[in-house]
Amino acid sequence: MGGLRRTRPLLPGSTERPPARVVSWALASIVDAGLVLGVATMLCGLAGIGDDNADAVAFTCVGAVLAALAAVARRRVAPPEQPGTGRVFAGIGFLWTALVLFGTVLYAGTGSLARLDDALVESAAGFTTTSLTLLDAAEVSRSVLLFRAATSWVGGLTAVWIGVVTLPVVLRSTALIGYTTGRRGLDLVPSASTGRRRVLILYSGFTAACVIAYLLTGLGVTEALVVGLGTVSTGGFTGRADSLAGYGGATQAVAGAGMFLAGAGIFVIWWIARGRLRPLWRSQELRTFVVLLVAATAAMALHRGIGWGEAGFMAVSAMSTTGFAVVDWTAWGTATTVILLVAAGIGSMMGSAGGGMRVMRVQLLMGSAGGELRRQLDPYAVVLVRRNDEALSQRTLDRLGGHQVAYVVLVGVGALLLGVSGVSLLGSVWGSVSAVTTFGPAVGEIGAFGLLDGVDRAERLALVPLMMGGRMSVPPVLAGVGLVMNWYKAAVRRGRFSVRLASRRLEALVESRSGDG
Amino acid sequence: MASGGVPEATPAGPSPLRDWFASTTLHILGIALAAVSLGMLACALLEAATSRRDTLALGASALVAGAAGGLLWYLTRPSAIRKRDIFATVAWTWILTTVVGALPFMLAGTFAVPGAGFVEQVVNSVFESASGFSASGSTVLTDFESPGRGLMMYRQLTHWYGGMGVVVLAVAVLPFLGVGGLELITAEAPGTTSDRLTPRVSETARRLWMVYIGFTACATVAFFAADGFSSLYDAVAHAFTLAATGGFSVHADSIGHYDSVAVETVVIVFMVLGGTSFSLHWRAVTTGRVPYHRNSEFRSYLGVLAVASAVIVILVWLENGLPLGSAIRGAVFTVVSLGTSTGLSNATGSGSPGDYVTWVAGAQLVLLFLMVVGGCTGSTSGGIKVKRMQVLGLVMLRSVQHSQTPRAVIPIRLGRDTVSENVVSRVAGFFLLHFLLVIAGLLAVTALGGELETSLGSVVSALGNMGPALGEAGPTSNYAVAFSQPARLVLALLMIIGRLEILPILLAVVPYVYRAKDLTRVARR
Repeated sequence: MGGLRRTRPLLPGSTERPPARVVSWALASIVDAGLVLGVATMLCGLAGIGDDNADAVAFTCVGAVLAALAAVARRRVAPPEQPGTGRVFAGIGFLWTALVLFGTVLYAGTGSLARLDDALVESAAGFTTTSLTLLDAAEVSRSVLLFRAATSWVGGLTAVWIGVVTLPVVLRSTALIGYTTGRRGLDLVPSASTGRRRVLILYSGFTAACVIAYLLTGLGVTEALVVGLGTVSTGGFTGRADSLAGYGGATQAVAGAGMFLAGAGIFVIWWIARGRLRPLWRSQELRTFVVLLVAATAAMALHRGIGWGEAGFMAVSAMSTTGFAVVDWTAWGTATTVILLVAAGIGSMMGSAGGGMRVMRVQLLMGSAGGELRRQLDPYAVVLVRRNDEALSQRTLDRLGGHQVAYVVLVGVGALLLGVSGVSLLGSVWGSVSAVTTFGPAVGEIGAFGLLDGVDRAERLALVPLMMGGRMSVPPVLAGVGLVMNWYKAAVRRGRFSVRLASRRLEALVESRSGDG
Repeated sequence: MASGGVPEATPAGPSPLRDWFASTTLHILGIALAAVSLGMLACALLEAATSRRDTLALGASALVAGAAGGLLWYLTRPSAIRKRDIFATVAWTWILTTVVGALPFMLAGTFAVPGAGFVEQVVNSVFESASGFSASGSTVLTDFESPGRGLMMYRQLTHWYGGMGVVVLAVAVLPFLGVGGLELITAEAPGTTSDRLTPRVSETARRLWMVYIGFTACATVAFFAADGFSSLYDAVAHAFTLAATGGFSVHADSIGHYDSVAVETVVIVFMVLGGTSFSLHWRAVTTGRVPYHRNSEFRSYLGVLAVASAVIVILVWLENGLPLGSAIRGAVFTVVSLGTSTGLSNATGSGSPGDYVTWVAGAQLVLLFLMVVGGCTGSTSGGIKVKRMQVLGLVMLRSVQHSQTPRAVIPIRLGRDTVSENVVSRVAGFFLLHFLLVIAGLLAVTALGGELETSLGSVVSALGNMGPALGEAGPTSNYAVAFSQPARLVLALLMIIGRLEILPILLAVVPYVYRAKDLTRVARR
């Protein structure tokens, strides 16, 4: 972790030295997330007492240790006041990797999933809030079931923190089109620490409301918790092989409303909580989100004669990238599945736990394309692309274009990876889009309910980098590529590495081997 | 008044109808139709000299197209061209040429198979014409034996016209269009900008056509020799396809009909050259030097073809279990064919080594990627183009660098040239529009009953002017089997949109274009 440094004594001339603090954005983020995850794991363990005590004890102990370590480390680690962009992105990459590795170790350690690769896939699906699973609720303990749901919840919270607080506030940059940088964001996130706290409170409150609503529809406590956590985080995990298909209409209605709010994002929840309706109406992104949902629903219902309820449910499930299903929608016909694919590709609103390109980005890209058409007619025209009455700079639009290209490349590479690992052509394309957008279910081998049982091991593993890349919204992936590029350049500059040197070493190795032979 | 008070003789003026209406759009359309009618006439003569089955259809079509084109040419005169007129001219010329170009198929009853109604015949004729003029090579023709040689040659000729472009042809014969002429060429020609080979635009257009004709002649000779001098008809027909990177063949099983390594090698070479910028060919011919290796786009183009070939050979060899020789032969031919947007096939039948729809998904995805990329700018090939992909890749890398140093000013360089930000922005916009059109096309075609895999491949193929696609629209299959009539019309429109690289059609139909008041007038030189 290249960003580590120790702070100097705060008071010049003072004999009393403050405790040495490590200043690292990546470590501070990991510690914060670790604390939440530790507490969540401990609670999952405690909730499992009486069901499978071995699992319950293991989860409680691991959670307690993790929470304690994180609490201690929190006093020793501090984020830098003004971290560099590259370091923040690298930190985000480390953070997600650490979370996924923790989950992997826990699944494999408790024997919930016997194989390490299966544990990795399950953990990645959980933290990236992708509705894919290898677990069967009937075969695992309550602790494991709740932990799986909790991984989604923590993943969703981390995604919202990063999207709402870290990128816009810490980086003080509009580059990522996080609209917290606009006026509306300021009252939710006046500072990083307050923003983090408020987001945690809102997210937890929304979770509590969802769980209570599910309880009122007649679900048991564990079920309500699992489905509630899956709804709020857009994780889409229910623990059942048929997702929400077996539940009643009331439960499905609550899920639909919950997915809508989860996809609409933390700002909408904040405005509703504050009773402020004007920003709701004025939000261009929210209006577009609603219009797209209605259009997708109407198109599916009118084209194939699907019930409006089912069509609406699947539309909101795809756009919020939750992945819940009430029916096997892959049998609905090709046009309908394409509509859902496009909906998942567009994804949710900024500031939500959902994935996809995001409605705001798509809006801006459309504006940019319109501007380009205008410029074809008048090369000297000054065409402004606006976001909530703010004109965006050309540099921001360029980065947006770069992001779009990177997103498409990620989907393309993912499809290729899946195709090479043996998935059918359609399954590869759909699977890649679905994994990168963190939706989960897909036409082909994966199916409408996101079950990975019928998918080969190599194909499952190929999904892991896609889910991670999609969850990180590409920039950290790009930053990771940038770090590797810089490392390579530095190594070449220092003469430690070059293609020629590497080939010479390889030749020497081959010669020595042949000499040995 | 002449000196000496002798009244000056009034020269016999032209007809009052001549040039009475000022419209560049109609004038260019007139020339394009007249040029197409000449092709129809030539093919009618060929038909009369050979099978005589479709002579009347071709002759009547030539008469209609010639009369319409001649009248438009005679009655109109070119005027100052505004930006919107440029795009409208190109768009309407292509759309109307396509419709008129479908006449021979309609009159000859080429698609009058049992059970096909009049509407289906019209739809199929328009589809075949659109596929021909856009140099795509997708076909709905199932019976390759019934049509006469003249009609089949006309089918090949549509490729040849469309490859270089009917508007470029019109500009070549219009010496006075000036700046608007260059913009017309730019609007029609594939690529980011059009190379101006000479100061005079009409001269540039003429030289491009000269290179094109020379290329076709070379391809004819090479094909004729590789085929053992057996059929000049076949050689000319395939030379038209190769020059235009089209994809039509006079045989149902395309190049697989010959089952000859020599023929396939010649075809591969000319497909690669067809996918290369014709400006480079011109420079090679005129300077006597070989400028290809200095062009970064050409190097990348060859690199993409080489890497894709290697990957597919390995995949097909290991996963499909083909013998290495067959894998190499099938993979290299298919990669070059789709990578240059030609669309010829060396499959000898369903399930043969060249039938790529039977290959593993990874190999088909690589082919799908090639369909998106296409050839070089300034060539006759389709797709997004290698140069644009280079710029997009560099834009992505710049995003990487910006993520670390947000304030850095990072220019984009291709070889030794710095790409202007205007071009970068245009390329990003083009990519986005292409992407949106793929989605819109996919939604439309699947809504009209297309199967998902086939529709995806066909939409990408149509926009990239490839020809064969995936699934049921593969190299040994047919679009008539895979798609409903409305879906075929959508695909035909996508082919034209793809051939004109999206903007002219969009700008000709987007309503606000006509409401815009501050359009820049392009001065008439």
